Amino acid sequence: MKEQVQNASGDAGTPLLAIQGLRTWFETDRGIVRAVDGIDLDVRRGECLGVVGESGSGKSATFASVMGLIRKPGRIVEGSIRFDGTELTSLDDRARRAMRGRDLAMTMQDALTALNPALRVGTQIIEVLRAHDQAASRSAATARAIELMQLVGIPAAESRIADYPHQFSGGMRQRIMIAIALACRPRLLIADEPTTALDVTIQAQVLDLIAGLRAKLGMSVVLITHNLGVVAAYCDRVAVLYAGQVVELGPTAEVIAAPRHPYTEGLLRSLPKLEDLDHPIEPIVGQVPDLISAPEGCRFAARCPHRRDSCAAAVAMRHVSPGRQVRCVLAEGAAP
Amino acid sequence: MPIARFVERILHLIPVLAGVSVIVFLMISLTPGDPVEIMLGDQRATPEQVASMRRDMGLDRPAVERYFVFVTNAIRGDFGQSFFHRRPVSAVISERLPATIELTVAAMLIAIGLAIPLGVLAAVRRDTILDRIATVGSLFGVSLPGFWFGILLILFFAVQLQILPVAGRLGYAMEVPAVTGFALVDSLIAGRMDSFWEVLRHLALPAFTLGLPSAAILMRVTRSAMIEVLRADYITFAEAKGLSRARIIGLHALKNALIPAVSVAALETGTLLGGNMVVETVFGWPGLGRLVVESIFARNYPLVQAAVLLYAVTYVALNFAADLLYTVLNPRVRL
Repeated sequence: MKEQVQNASGDAGTPLLAIQGLRTWFETDRGIVRAVDGIDLDVRRGECLGVVGESGSGKSATFASVMGLIRKPGRIVEGSIRFDGTELTSLDDRARRAMRGRDLAMTMQDALTALNPALRVGTQIIEVLRAHDQAASRSAATARAIELMQLVGIPAAESRIADYPHQFSGGMRQRIMIAIALACRPRLLIADEPTTALDVTIQAQVLDLIAGLRAKLGMSVVLITHNLGVVAAYCDRVAVLYAGQVVELGPTAEVIAAPRHPYTEGLLRSLPKLEDLDHPIEPIVGQVPDLISAPEGCRFAARCPHRRDSCAAAVAMRHVSPGRQVRCVLAEGAAP
Repeated sequence: MPIARFVERILHLIPVLAGVSVIVFLMISLTPGDPVEIMLGDQRATPEQVASMRRDMGLDRPAVERYFVFVTNAIRGDFGQSFFHRRPVSAVISERLPATIELTVAAMLIAIGLAIPLGVLAAVRRDTILDRIATVGSLFGVSLPGFWFGILLILFFAVQLQILPVAGRLGYAMEVPAVTGFALVDSLIAGRMDSFWEVLRHLALPAFTLGLPSAAILMRVTRSAMIEVLRADYITFAEAKGLSRARIIGLHALKNALIPAVSVAALETGTLLGGNMVVETVFGWPGLGRLVVESIFARNYPLVQAAVLLYAVTYVALNFAADLLYTVLNPRVRL
């Protein structure tokens, strides 16, 4: 599953998606909310990148920026988003729309609200094929829609294509949403909290489906989640976001085995441990800083057990070992 | 929808209609004084004539018996004699009804035709000047009294500009044989395009006057429903799919926003029946509304009774139709 898939149109050496210095701010009555405040992040070809952080860490806003779905009062203030060499931030609406759903696709947290309740699921699959000229005719589109429903494991797809979303179970609805996202064989799938709305037993099924399709279609996947267990099981690399910035980035196994940022450490410690259920869960004390007036220095300092004076100054990402970066004054290690 | 549920819904209408029939029946019984004398008004009548009229109207029999006679007759479409037309009430009403239906349908088409596009536009361009104009305009639309607005329109379009007729339905020279009673349909049957056009010209001002308040209300409902719907996750997901703006607004958002709009439209059509009385009187439109107003002043109770019952049945039927449409638009709702 971790093999790198060569993409026909691009150079395998460069990342599929390169986000640099991205700032996405929201102008509210209270002031400017700096939801995304200087994010640098790559998604490599064929990889599964886990993006972890609590609510308000900027993980969803970052990828809404990538999809071009930031609405007023939000706006991308600065930064670059390159997709396979194309700078997305300078494209006009029409060109961006042409890429959405075709090159970059997204699934949302809850398929119940993401699927239109008033339209048949078949219509909702077919329209994305038609919007991107992926089907010559209506009948070809219908046939392809049935194929997609079968691909994501929906039984009796031929008859269920005429059903409405509310006629499906939660897991089946999630599969339909995935079928829609994958309809045009995108090169990047952004899965925003794909399992939060599901029962635990269904969660693994949906994640396995995404992982299987990723291998089959050779696409890259960004898995946005607040569940480190999911990341450990499915992601090649993980980026930990805090208050609009990346604070730790590296191969999943390494980050989980030996976190270098106190926040990542705290996240891991707050997980219940299966092998030691008597061990108390340790929550991270304090709260995420107000993104309107975030501190100039380390944003985690106020909650950090290792806080010291040098934390008051701005901290840049430090390379600690090949492929691993940490935004913390305590982190030391190999040069990049 | 399963037939059984459909039948059940229709059966639910029976108690409502029964209640209405009691109220309509009591109209005469509760009128202070002797209904016969009130109906006779200033006309001189001999005691024999009064007694014979009481007998004709069945007023000499007990109230319960009279109610059942009234209801059984009403079901057969017999509402007695219209006092001053000296013809059956049902005949007088069915003669006037098509003109009113024509006017109401035209008013509703104008209302929907104005309200839905404007409501959608105001929601999509929310907080722009266009939205403000539409919102303030709708406030005027709701607040302007029909009789006054109608007269203003007459003064401007008929008297000043002289591009539309002042009142009436069709000039005598343009009369076409009444087949259905709907002047537009009859003109087409007679192959008279000149008459058809003439009816349209006569229809324009009263239909606009009648439809404007409904347009205003419907516009507001559409606007707020659209604003609500445009915030939904499925709109974001539709955008993520790369669909065109037109499809997202025209299909994904509108189909959901129409759900509340449809119920309001159906209720508004019922309200138009009341509005008809004023508008038909102002524009000299020979419909049921004007007939009812005339009948109220003439104390022509049998006709008023029949008309009120007809209004009630129509209102209930429109609500039922709205519920049916609701299920078509909203697959989650089963009757």
